[in-house]
Amino acid sequence: MDGLILGLDLCDAYTQLVCDQGEKSWTLPTVICRKKEEESWMVGEPAYASALAGSGVMVDKLVKLVTKDGTATIGGIRYTGAQLLTRFLIQAVALAKDEYNTDKIKQLVFSVPRIETRLLACLRGCGEYLQVAGEDIHIMSHTESFMYYVLSQKREVWNNQVGMFDLSGEGLCYYEMKVQRGLRQTTVMAEKERLEEGFSLDILNSSAGKKMADRILCSCGNRMLQKKLFSSVFLMGKGFEERDWAEGFMKLVCNRRRVYVETELFARGAAYRAVDFLREKSIYPYVCICEGRLDSSVSMRVLYKDQDNQLMLAKAGVSWYEAAKEVELILDGQDYLEFMITPPDQRKKKTVRMELEGFPKRGEKTLRVLVQIGFLDERTMTVTVTDQGFGELFPSTGAVLKQEVML
Amino acid sequence: MSVIVCGQKRARRPFYLEELGINIYSCQEFCYVVYHHPLLFMDGIMDQSLVDFIRDEFDMGFVAARLEQRIKSGERQEDILLFFMQECNYYTTAELNKLRQTLQSFKKLSVFEYAKRRADYLAQFKQYGRAIAGYEEILEERDGRADDQFISRVLNNLGACYARVFQFRKAMEAYDKAYEKRRDMATLERMYHLTLLDSGLALKERYRSAASGELLERWKREFEKAQEAAKESAGVKNIGDLFEKDSVRRLQGAAKLVEEWKQEYRGMA
Repeated sequence: MDGLILGLDLCDAYTQLVCDQGEKSWTLPTVICRKKEEESWMVGEPAYASALAGSGVMVDKLVKLVTKDGTATIGGIRYTGAQLLTRFLIQAVALAKDEYNTDKIKQLVFSVPRIETRLLACLRGCGEYLQVAGEDIHIMSHTESFMYYVLSQKREVWNNQVGMFDLSGEGLCYYEMKVQRGLRQTTVMAEKERLEEGFSLDILNSSAGKKMADRILCSCGNRMLQKKLFSSVFLMGKGFEERDWAEGFMKLVCNRRRVYVETELFARGAAYRAVDFLREKSIYPYVCICEGRLDSSVSMRVLYKDQDNQLMLAKAGVSWYEAAKEVELILDGQDYLEFMITPPDQRKKKTVRMELEGFPKRGEKTLRVLVQIGFLDERTMTVTVTDQGFGELFPSTGAVLKQEVML
Repeated sequence: MSVIVCGQKRARRPFYLEELGINIYSCQEFCYVVYHHPLLFMDGIMDQSLVDFIRDEFDMGFVAARLEQRIKSGERQEDILLFFMQECNYYTTAELNKLRQTLQSFKKLSVFEYAKRRADYLAQFKQYGRAIAGYEEILEERDGRADDQFISRVLNNLGACYARVFQFRKAMEAYDKAYEKRRDMATLERMYHLTLLDSGLALKERYRSAASGELLERWKREFEKAQEAAKESAGVKNIGDLFEKDSVRRLQGAAKLVEEWKQEYRGMA
């Protein structure tokens, strides 16, 4: 085997690992435990066992610990959330490495409930410890994994809308995907909604609780699925491992729809995407708009060969954390920059003007600036403009302007 | 109002434009100086060294190959220059057409007038050495074809250039010849000012009759006034400020200033 292609679903409660090479998958609680007396680490079930036996100190909710920039002190040593999560991931990934007897990872795609800057930095940074090159690590949201999973199925599964209920220890979420077929391109849109009615899976331990849970799901199902044409509905999460308690809900969703139960959907979606990254040409030639991806394009009007042209700075459907771009521009007779924000609904197109206050007033065509754009999330773009000067004719004043632009 | 994308690479090793005494790092800078100082660049700028620079530093191999072809086919320099500027996408076609007209108007000038304008341009950019060479070339080649008034203007400008590089004796000679061609009091005034700058120089006896004592007195007052104004100039003030600083910063500032002066003088000479 010349390297593993892995999809890893990372949540606070559990972690699922899927390897493209085989049917084998791993699910383990996202916990890590260090022995009290020595720096020896365990993850998953053994970590629980060690903590219960009193021989180790366990830390859970590792994703939250990273996003909150938290720390945990074990045996007098303070560990950052990023350090603990990295240790956890090393051991989790080692499961696949041991199974397939290889140390090499060709591609690793993480699927996380919500893409957050600190988590991104941590997951990208752990490549060194997992022996994966930085460019071979990608991070996607659960919504995106759902989208790739569905798009990897037969076309009849996603001809119309696709819905998904995710019931886990972390709550109840509803996902919906629809495909807009255009003349030039096909746009796939997926959304996630966290349902207020979410309940703890513990209530399924009693018969009264089971009935109540079924009623809750029926009410959610009615609300989310009514008056829409669905090609299929997916049921995901630990809550749907057994479905005998959800008789009413199953009757509701199975009515004239294909229903699939898939408990490793996010990890599998990530693995499909990992395989796609290795292809020369993607088999998903769609504009994908969902959580973690830009839903609007950002462009600028520029002059090229005497004609007005659009300079695309960030294209809708691109992962916001990979959408950084820099471009050098010369402003002719204007002391501002104008960004055109184009959402899927072209009628809502808007222009955002950025005044270059504090920048030098130079002669015509000599204000050269470096424009760097990046994104803090799918709705917030950061723009940094730096005066580059114009050679020895007009040296740079060092003027810099930073601004956040809401898309 | 528009925005232009700088698509081409910026040079790591710049191209030195002797005409202006500056380094060029981008094709936009090159276009800018040609557009604003066409007189300096319309003859012979586009040679093999510049083509090599365009190929290697701007990474414009295709354009460089086409430039080479045009040079080999003997195309006019201004056409080659305009072709390159069009490829840079910095100036619009309308702006380049305007430049073409300017270049054509220069071509219509007489050989001497064209050479003088070029030398004047160099003097304006403190390229005194090159300007002096230009003026002297006109004087050598005039061969009786230029009128006295024109020659007087050339000599007058030559004198000014010599004065700017502190060669007061040569400046005096040039002004002297200029005055012989055209009896202009302004030339006489400059000669008198030279005598005030260099005590070894004196106004010729025959000019003393042209300038009365009262006139000389007025010119002297004007000279002193200019000297007083110079004491208040930004350059002098900067030196004063430098001496207010502590010894380390003063020395650093002085070193920088001397380096600037050296650069400036190298450009002048």
